[in-house]
Amino acid sequence: MFKRKLSALQYPNFDAVNATDEKQFRKVIAWLEENKIKKYKSNNRPISDINSSNWKKSFEQYKKDVSCPVKSNLTIEELDWFVNFALDIEYLKNKSKYDQHSLAVLKSTSIPNVVADNPLDCLDFASKDFKTGIECIAQMLKISPHPNPLVTLKACSKLICSRFNQNAIKNPNDYIIKGTAFPFEDAIKGYELGDVVLQKAAKCLRLLYIQNLRELQTQCNESIVSVQNMTANPKTDTKLGKVGK
Amino acid sequence: MVVRSYNDELKYLEKINNYCWRIKIGFQPNMKVEGCFYVNAALEKLMLEELRNACRPGMTGGFLPGVKQIANVAALPGIVGRSIGLPDVHSGYGFAIGNMAAFDVNDPQSIVSPGGVGFDINCGVRLLRTNLWEKDVLPVKEQLAQSLFDHIPVGVGSKGIIPMNARDLDEALEMGMDWSLREGYVWAEDKEHCEEYGRMLNADPATVSMRAKKRGLPQLGTLGAGNHYAEIQVVDEIYDKWAACKMGIEEKGQVCVMIHSGSRGFGHQVATDALVQMEKAMKRYNIETNDRQLACSHINSEEGQNYLKSMAAAANFAWVNRSSMTFLSRQAFAKQFNMSPDDLDMHVIYDVSHNIAKIEEHLVDGKPKTLLVHRKGSTRAFPPGHPLIPVDYQLTGQPVLIGGTMGTCSYVLTGTESGMEQTFGSTCHGAGRALSRAKSRRNLNYTDVLRKLDDMGISIRVASPKLVMEEAPESYKNVTDVVNTCHAAGISNKCIKLRPIAVIKG
Repeated sequence: MFKRKLSALQYPNFDAVNATDEKQFRKVIAWLEENKIKKYKSNNRPISDINSSNWKKSFEQYKKDVSCPVKSNLTIEELDWFVNFALDIEYLKNKSKYDQHSLAVLKSTSIPNVVADNPLDCLDFASKDFKTGIECIAQMLKISPHPNPLVTLKACSKLICSRFNQNAIKNPNDYIIKGTAFPFEDAIKGYELGDVVLQKAAKCLRLLYIQNLRELQTQCNESIVSVQNMTANPKTDTKLGKVGK
Repeated sequence: MVVRSYNDELKYLEKINNYCWRIKIGFQPNMKVEGCFYVNAALEKLMLEELRNACRPGMTGGFLPGVKQIANVAALPGIVGRSIGLPDVHSGYGFAIGNMAAFDVNDPQSIVSPGGVGFDINCGVRLLRTNLWEKDVLPVKEQLAQSLFDHIPVGVGSKGIIPMNARDLDEALEMGMDWSLREGYVWAEDKEHCEEYGRMLNADPATVSMRAKKRGLPQLGTLGAGNHYAEIQVVDEIYDKWAACKMGIEEKGQVCVMIHSGSRGFGHQVATDALVQMEKAMKRYNIETNDRQLACSHINSEEGQNYLKSMAAAANFAWVNRSSMTFLSRQAFAKQFNMSPDDLDMHVIYDVSHNIAKIEEHLVDGKPKTLLVHRKGSTRAFPPGHPLIPVDYQLTGQPVLIGGTMGTCSYVLTGTESGMEQTFGSTCHGAGRALSRAKSRRNLNYTDVLRKLDDMGISIRVASPKLVMEEAPESYKNVTDVVNTCHAAGISNKCIKLRPIAVIKG
């Protein structure tokens, strides 16, 4: 799990590191201190003596000195913390070099400056003109406006697509929703939320969900019917029939 | 069995409220949970009378009284919640008819019992609406009844008019209503308005005996005998305008068609075969029950799984059967009125099963659990918003179709949240017998029964008139009492009342 990080740190033999092996663990820690972290002076590094019987004690001290928060006996977490710590030091050393490749810098330079032919792309959605324009359209379509004009625009677009498309204008009766109005505020039971507005909203959500489900079911039915067109051949044979006693 | 006097027995029964009684642990040996039953004042009398009769010295043989059977079910391994008797409860084979019980699928001790489903697997009711009114139908009532009778073969030993071979049957057993759809007997919308979408996916025709298939093959598309019927009905009362509106029922006087039928000889044979297997399994697994008729096996045993697979095949058979009769009824109406079934708006309102065991998710003490729910003479009644009910009924709750008896009313109810809590989303299924078949034959005369129906303006076509007294209204509990009890106890809501104008029967 440390392969890529250790290779970035140019650790020799990064492919073969096994963190659960005590000896290798000590070796990596010592290498990191000597080459990257450099907390101690080079002549005073008890952590470098990896064969010492006091190594564990020195390591605990070392952890305190670099304020490593990981509890002991979590070898993998400890190693991960030290590898990351070393990476951090490495990064800060050459911050300006690495930052040249950061996403923010890349974006600003690599995207060509396209001049849109479509006037809609040049709209300033935050402008007052846009806002009042959308409100006007919404009013004509009898849609109650949302504080965010983009949401209102989306609602307008939905309505126009479903009710003002060519087919709908040709055969309006197929698209005008028929049926009796459903008193959802009284007839939907089981939403005692204590807040009238919240309750109403929950019921509206429920109705929208049911509408979605209805559309799905209708599509299922349509696919069944198209299969039936190929397979259906209902037969009866009255000669087979027999009334019992 | 414990022998106690009637008054001692009563000590174990406690009236919780006007509509519900508790059966305390100890009423029968080894009860794991309590039992309960829903009754109003009139049904309560019938229930206790049955118990009192069974306590008289020398009363042995025949079925145990319903209360005792409910308690015996409460003693089965793995049962959760309560063993519940619905208002139409009456004694049956092992389980009372009108008894529901749920078993925890994740408890290795839990059992499945064919007696908890009944012999007529997936017996159920389907309701079709039309855009006709009573005044359109009354002048041609006799012709229409005759036309239905000509299309739908009835009676013991009847044979269907839909040609089928053994391969068709195997496919139908596996596919259920999807088979009827593929062959073009029903409409896509019919599947949508059917419990389980008309197909149990775990059905395996290979687990079904040759004998069952042989019995079933010629019987597809036939109504059968007993309490099964097809009726032309008229909307008599609307209690819940909005729910009725969602079902396409606008006004009083609208004409509907109700079909009450099941899996015929096929289901009977599947149940019989399973009982033989279960008796052996009980010995092998050391399962003990209070009553030999409660033969059962662990859900996850080979016998248990085989039964569930073959039961599912029988359930599919019943859906194909009701679908075939839907097709035939539409034909009969189309011929009579010279209009297509489409133009007559003959849509399926709903199709319920009242003899079935299904795996369902329920809350038990606030925790979700997977249960095997046995409903015998009990209808599923899921509340508004439940994911397993059709989108059209999401706001109203599942329609529950309650078939009355010959010449009496039928009802459409809807499922409630309270029913989900009290009875695992279950309610009654019909009137429920008050007199045994033999007793009805002794006490009633068939010509009187037929004359009475005629006086009520009901056209009737029967294959065997000499058996109609078995099904006479006098042999049954009052369906209105049953439905009102369910409504008052809150386990389902009254929505529509229907009255018959023509009946065809076995």
